[in-house]
Amino acid sequence: MEFIHLLSLGDQGWGDEMLRATMVTIMVSISAMCIGLFVSIFGTISKLSKNRLIRAIGNTYTTVVRGIPELLVIYLLYFGFNNAIMSIANSLFGYNQYIELPVFLIAALAVGIISGAYSTEVIRGAFLVVPRGQIEAAKSVGMNRFLVFYRVLIPQVLRYALPGLGNVWQLTLKDTALIMVTGLVEIMRQAHIASGSTYSPFTFYMSAAILYLVLTTASSKALNSAENWANKGVKREKA
Amino acid sequence: MTTALKIKNLTKSFGSLDVIKGISLTANQGDVICIIGSSGSGKSTLLRCINLLEIPDSGDVWVNEELISMTKNKAGDPCPADYKQVDRIRTKLAMVFQDFNLWTHMTVLQNVIESPIHVQKISKQKAIDRGYDLLKKVGINEKAEQYPSSLSGGQQQRVAIARALAVNPDILLFDEPTSSLDPELVGEVLRVMKSLAKEGRTMIVVTHEMGFAKEVASKVVFLHDGLIEEQGEAKDVFNSPKSERLKKFLASNLEG
Repeated sequence: MEFIHLLSLGDQGWGDEMLRATMVTIMVSISAMCIGLFVSIFGTISKLSKNRLIRAIGNTYTTVVRGIPELLVIYLLYFGFNNAIMSIANSLFGYNQYIELPVFLIAALAVGIISGAYSTEVIRGAFLVVPRGQIEAAKSVGMNRFLVFYRVLIPQVLRYALPGLGNVWQLTLKDTALIMVTGLVEIMRQAHIASGSTYSPFTFYMSAAILYLVLTTASSKALNSAENWANKGVKREKA
Repeated sequence: MTTALKIKNLTKSFGSLDVIKGISLTANQGDVICIIGSSGSGKSTLLRCINLLEIPDSGDVWVNEELISMTKNKAGDPCPADYKQVDRIRTKLAMVFQDFNLWTHMTVLQNVIESPIHVQKISKQKAIDRGYDLLKKVGINEKAEQYPSSLSGGQQQRVAIARALAVNPDILLFDEPTSSLDPELVGEVLRVMKSLAKEGRTMIVVTHEMGFAKEVASKVVFLHDGLIEEQGEAKDVFNSPKSERLKKFLASNLEG
């Protein structure tokens, strides 16, 4: 019954640290997902653009980010952001000390950019599935571009994109484990620290696994009800 | 009599394929013009050029004697000069499509009241009252709260007609409205269309239903290869066709 002691709350155990780390994981995941969705709006617009250059930018983004290991993306962004900020500070203000960006921000941005590449593909796919005829029907009764977008496209894109975005959310949640390399104390990092200090790695990695499972299961439940809501009208009404 | 619709020298090509090669057509108020012709003759494209779902390469379109003004974009391609004018004129030209194109995320009633509320800014209660009246008119008011996916093709098309009528258009454009329907469902849609024609509505109908054209059309236009091959009153076109192509077309479409 050693593990109960190890995982207890308070000074003696690591339970409260693990819960705090879980909160960090949740916060990073939500921030990253939001950043990713924001990025994917531009990603989708650029990938569906008629302009060849703009399309190339969008394609490069999704190809590169999805084509290299996520850990590498995080390293590149982590060091890339810091270097970029430092060289900007240096050239603009002559400041040449080491600057470390808030690690939470870097983590959310890095995972957000990864998540955005996948969201872009999901949303782009959903846009292409909306039957063109429904857009034409909207135009034919006098809807302007804004109304077509907001009244006809968006509700249906949401419907088609939700299952895919649910997948992206789970990926995003799990990708936050990789940002332990930046030093942000989320579930994975906390489990790592705790197992190093207590020589009970299995206990802590097992509890990390359970924490991730709780988060993913709870969110897939929430997503199911969101999908049911968005799919109204698609399934035949029960007789 | 006022001219409801006038088309002059309209052309349209897709890449190197010339689909419409210069068509002029006039519809007076209350006219029911049926456009017939074999597939690929440009019937649907002509109809879609009228409400600018396809942008014609050249030519002019007047709706209620108002010219739709066109210009050229940076790439030198023709485009509408004023999209607000296009949006406004489109409500005068509501269209019924081959594949119904109902918005699947909205109920039947929501489909019908969407444009009146959001485009024409009619009060919600008024739009709903009118929506029920129109659904009653096409015989589908008891399905108002259902989603399109639970309706048969014929029912969906009748809802689409109600949706088109809801914007109070001066002209109704029908793009092969019965071609996607099972044979036993064609009748219910044609009945609604006939009743609209009897009310004196101006209708431009692209159709393969020769019986409907014969009975309802005030004018029949036979298209061949992007040009008007023959046109005239229904009885003349069907009973004494002049062109060889029309004779052949009628022979293969009227048999059986």
